[in-house]
Amino acid sequence: MSYVDAGYAVALVTLLVYAVGLVLRRRRWERALRMTETPATESHGAPALGERS
Amino acid sequence: MWHDAVLVAGKDLRIEARSRVALWQVVPFAFLVLVLLAFAIGPDQAALRRAAPGIFWVALLFSTVLAIQRSVAVESGEGTRDGLRLSGIDPAGIFLGKAAAVGLQLLVLQLVLWAGVTFLFDVQVHVVWLAVTASLLATVGLACAGVLYGALSAGLRVRDTLLPLLVLPVLAPVLLAGSKVWEAALDGGVSSGTQWLKILVPFAVIYLVVGIVLYGPLQEAA
Amino acid sequence: MSAPTLGPSRPRWLDVVGIVGVVALGFTVWLGLWITPPDVVQGNLARLLYIHPPIATVALYWVGAVAAGGSLLYLWPRTRSLFWDRLAASAVEVGAVFSALTLVTGSLWGRPAWGTWWTWDARLTSTALLLLLEIGYLALRRVPADPAVRARRCAVAALLIAVDIPLVHFSVDWWNTLHQGGTFIDPGFKIHASASMSWTFLLGFVAFSLIFVWLLGVRYQVEVLQDAVGDQELEVSLAERWDEDAERIVGDLVGQAPTPGGGAP
Repeated sequence: MSYVDAGYAVALVTLLVYAVGLVLRRRRWERALRMTETPATESHGAPALGERS
Repeated sequence: MWHDAVLVAGKDLRIEARSRVALWQVVPFAFLVLVLLAFAIGPDQAALRRAAPGIFWVALLFSTVLAIQRSVAVESGEGTRDGLRLSGIDPAGIFLGKAAAVGLQLLVLQLVLWAGVTFLFDVQVHVVWLAVTASLLATVGLACAGVLYGALSAGLRVRDTLLPLLVLPVLAPVLLAGSKVWEAALDGGVSSGTQWLKILVPFAVIYLVVGIVLYGPLQEAA
Repeated sequence: MSAPTLGPSRPRWLDVVGIVGVVALGFTVWLGLWITPPDVVQGNLARLLYIHPPIATVALYWVGAVAAGGSLLYLWPRTRSLFWDRLAASAVEVGAVFSALTLVTGSLWGRPAWGTWWTWDARLTSTALLLLLEIGYLALRRVPADPAVRARRCAVAALLIAVDIPLVHFSVDWWNTLHQGGTFIDPGFKIHASASMSWTFLLGFVAFSLIFVWLLGVRYQVEVLQDAVGDQELEVSLAERWDEDAERIVGDLVGQAPTPGGGAP
């Protein structure tokens, strides 16, 4: 694989992976928001999504 | 003792896996040291290549201090250390566990630093086994000495300034020997390399033994 | 402060930007790798110049503008709004990805062109430092704090970074020039552009800029959602705490032993 091919490949793959990652994160947090809004969650506590150090 | 060590190592590593502080703070710091040292030595490519072994080990040593600080900090919550002490876990086990966890992080760090130095300073390690052996031996010594001195400074308010001052001089032989081994590994001078390896062995053994023996009493005194 | 039911609105235009960006990128790659001729001087290596400079421009200028501008607008009392803070933070994260890509594509170009993976020239070195600073900013951002406190802290950090990078670039440039005795020849990026090459170059800039905007937008949405969930979780756990306390008070009044508290740390 030439340097040029490698360069294109890395750039495209990285952006793709990051983009997919962002979309998945957005979906996960939307689900989390929906769950914390329904009153049923108070009884068993919202699952610990989004641990932050 | 060994069982306790595995427990403690597992705990420390799990905390790291969750918080990823070593990954996102210590590793970038190591690269920062590489960049700063490059600035210090100047744009001459030949000078940088000659300095590369020393730069690797200096960056590693400074990062080790950070890793030790982090290792101590995970137990600095109120009563955590007392809780550990009263839990009946063998203090030697705690020492070994923490040293193992730090050691593992240092090994990963060295891999990254190795790649970084190769990349940034345009050098190539030719005698790989020399460099690898040096790293393994040095890691034992760094981790053991580091955890021990971490325990020394643990409860103190001046811990952040005191720990580097205490531990870096102690780690100096590792820097010396390590740099020489790497020089040999880059040039191919196997015999001189093996001579310097011989310094790393007693260093590792001494601090391993001293740590096992003294960690408990240190904890009592804190 | 209650967030809308499904978090931030999902504006249509953002997805359009994303799609157009991807299409433009596709064309750039196609043109860049196959249709355009190799350069007279650099040969096929010049094809990397269809992606490296656009990525670098995004990483340095677009990201810088949004992060610094957003931080300024947040700190300025008249325009203070968490919108700017969240936008700036999103730009920094996307910027870190682009900075890393700048370094990688730059090295891949540099290795065959200069014979070495890395040179300590001003552009590469300041991008490397920028990446480290961005990582630092993101670590700072993760420290739990009240949104306004965090916003102020991060805004100051971003502005300091924005001031620092040009300084670093200038110093390193001078550092190199003095060493080379005053005649610093930038060995890079000299190509003789034909028409198709120029158009592809321009298309590359457009493509990566659009992709940056889309990534920024989605990252911003994630940021808003995270804060909204944080608020909700806080409200829920506060409500649980009050319920527990109420139970205990009632228990005391009735003379029973208080029930052991729930798991809230």
